[in-house]
Amino acid sequence: MSHILIIDDSISIRQVLNLTLKGSGYEVTEAIDGADALEKLKSIKCDLIITDLNMPNMDGITFIRNVKDAASPYRTIPIIMLTTETEQQKREEGKKAGAKAWVVKPFQPQQLLAAVQKLII
Amino acid sequence: MNLESVKQTFLLESEELLTGMEEYLLQLEKDPENEEGVNAIFRAVHTIKGSSGMFGYDNIVHFTHTLETMMDRLRQKEAVVTPDLIATLLKCHDHIETLIEFDTTAQEGQEVPEEYSQRGQELLAELSIFFQGSQQSVTAKKEEPKNTAQNKTVEPVQRPTNGIQSPYWHISLRFAPSVLADGLDPFSFIHYLKNIGDIKNLYPVHDSLPDADLFNPEIFYLGFEIDLDAQTDDEQTVRSVFEFLEEDATIHIFPPHSAITLYEKVIQKLPESRERLTGILMEMGTLAPSDLEQVSSPAVAAIAENSESEEPEAEIRQSTREHPEEKKEVPAKISGKEEQSKKFIRIEAAKLDLLINLVGELVITGANISQIAKRENNSAMLEAASSMERLIEELRDNVMNIRMVQIGETFRKFERTVRDTSRDLKKEVELLVKGGETELDKNLIDNINDPLMHLIRNSLDHGLENPEDREAAGKPRKGTILLNAFHDTGSIVIEVRDDGKGLDKEKILAKAVERGLATQAQFYSDSDIYHFIFEPGFSTAEKVTNISGRGVGMDVVRRNIEALRGTVDVDSTKGKGTIISIRLPLTLAIIDGFIVTVGDAKYVIPLDMVTEAVEVKDIEKNSERGGNFISLRGELLPYLRLNTFFREKNMGREQENVIVVTYGQQKAGLVVDDLLGESQTVIKPLGKIFDQLHGISGATIMGNGDVALILDIPRLIEHAINQQYG
Repeated sequence: MSHILIIDDSISIRQVLNLTLKGSGYEVTEAIDGADALEKLKSIKCDLIITDLNMPNMDGITFIRNVKDAASPYRTIPIIMLTTETEQQKREEGKKAGAKAWVVKPFQPQQLLAAVQKLII
Repeated sequence: MNLESVKQTFLLESEELLTGMEEYLLQLEKDPENEEGVNAIFRAVHTIKGSSGMFGYDNIVHFTHTLETMMDRLRQKEAVVTPDLIATLLKCHDHIETLIEFDTTAQEGQEVPEEYSQRGQELLAELSIFFQGSQQSVTAKKEEPKNTAQNKTVEPVQRPTNGIQSPYWHISLRFAPSVLADGLDPFSFIHYLKNIGDIKNLYPVHDSLPDADLFNPEIFYLGFEIDLDAQTDDEQTVRSVFEFLEEDATIHIFPPHSAITLYEKVIQKLPESRERLTGILMEMGTLAPSDLEQVSSPAVAAIAENSESEEPEAEIRQSTREHPEEKKEVPAKISGKEEQSKKFIRIEAAKLDLLINLVGELVITGANISQIAKRENNSAMLEAASSMERLIEELRDNVMNIRMVQIGETFRKFERTVRDTSRDLKKEVELLVKGGETELDKNLIDNINDPLMHLIRNSLDHGLENPEDREAAGKPRKGTILLNAFHDTGSIVIEVRDDGKGLDKEKILAKAVERGLATQAQFYSDSDIYHFIFEPGFSTAEKVTNISGRGVGMDVVRRNIEALRGTVDVDSTKGKGTIISIRLPLTLAIIDGFIVTVGDAKYVIPLDMVTEAVEVKDIEKNSERGGNFISLRGELLPYLRLNTFFREKNMGREQENVIVVTYGQQKAGLVVDDLLGESQTVIKPLGKIFDQLHGISGATIMGNGDVALILDIPRLIEHAINQQYG
């Protein structure tokens, strides 16, 4: 069973993600921001990361840079960014940092699952 | 967890975000340069927009989308923060609140009332005025959020007359060598193709595979030629499978029956030789010999030349191009501590209550075990029992701690009340908050809200004067209300202080006499007089306003607080201001108790209130002039004989034990028989029939199953003090 780490400072979005992904048979771990996620990564083996971009403490872009850093042990984990229509520039920044996939909020569960299934089996 | 409970979470989260937003708006009003505040407000709106979209609350998304845009422009300093802007933003805040309340309670399919959307438009129009004069017009930004997928232009697939035979889509994939390092798995994309159709043929192109000794497992060497039987004729659907691969792969997609010239052109661009590729495509059956023959004719080559401008790759670039008028987003930085404090786990209060009850039972059972161990004189068991008791105690403290909530949050909620009410009353008022980090039991916080609200409104309405009157009295125009919370000998004290005109003693006394609560002849101390305001129906307000003054308030305040085992006190100086202090017990459920015997019965005194225990000989002789005092190191201390008070047997001892207890400023001695020492005490409330019982606040079950009564120390002290006059 693939394990997905979801990062969002909004608890309701985390729960929606959690509900959607668990419903499709994925194992899910939640983190509330980039710093929390880096901490969680140490203790789980995860196959995919889904992250919000605009978060306190450590925002999504910084987090992606950390994960995709040449020295990072997690750099090959694919990342999906949760972005909004207004965050196109951030999305580009995220892509440059190494997150290749994104989902635009608000999204339908199928849209999210489609993105996930393109990246992991 | 189901969608319903997630909605509940959304509601709670939005409430929190809105509270934060309000707080920051009020801060911003004081300090317009506060960039952090603007960022936080932006993020609150942003998050509400994001999550309400997830639940399909389109009206919220619509409103917050424009609001978010404006807040972003505020971050870019396209508008100046003025009190009027804050006022409008506060209204927007309220509007979001209304919308959320409506959406989360609306029935399935219920229409959003027209007035809501109208109100929203009005507010946004009002808001847009503040942003006029900057480059962008607000109306231009007012469009609905669109899904990117819809923005992509999909050109109708033209069916060329000279199309190939194959009825399938053909996809030619060449992955970038770095695709694995980028965290993308080429296989999962191919796997995903199955969601839109059947893969008829798949040919791995492994021409770039190096020799085994040069092979690098982190580099991807393969390409794929795929025939797909898709149930779609929309090229975008097929292309969207690879949308995340745009920089990591060269993708060519050929709709069924594409022109051979298209293939021809792509074949020229791919790294493999023409012979090799046509060989592969022939082998797959994508191209038939008859298809290829067309290419050799010069007429077709010319068509290929002309169709240059409509080659399919152009589409990919177009679809992913950035919007030109994008704004730069500054990552919002909020001081970590502030945000940290908001990281809560939400637990249903009932679960915590259950946990506390269980810990309570555990405390009793633990005490029981220790007693058995003592009785059996089993030292090993005694040791185990004592470490278990220690653990239980720790567990108890931790569990109680979970329920402790900082009062600051509650205090901050009043900022809005003060702001709005003072505007209504045309007074200038500043709310100061001290001791916001003081923690108290969640139940207490919930119950203290209304009384505090009432006291604050009272201060605003009756306590503080108009700016003109204040100036005339030589005070600053702006009045101050201070909310202050602190710990004091096992209680929490919450003060509402104002620097207004103070209570009018004469007026209160006159009114008390008029209402038959007092007599002219009797002497009343200041504190006695002030206490009249807590009598039911007592109000000296000359005119009743809608803020306060109906006289139903203060007695309700007192009753609410007494229901929490607390007390309320008033102090006032005419012309200087009034202090109302509420004193509440720290916890509601389990306390450290000090057990004493009176006659044959056991009583518990909350340990926090015990100052000392002394032995006194011949108390009556010691008392001065028959008054109920003992002299304790030269200090006169009123005392109370508990065996007389509770009509217990008098043991008639020469040396008597006196427990000195303190509550607030007051002290008294309680004369008891034996001291049994400390014990954890689980408070069991007494039933309603014991309401009339004086001096007892609850009961507890001891380790051996005995029932002990918990003393109501504040009442007993009061009694001891009053007795000295009697």
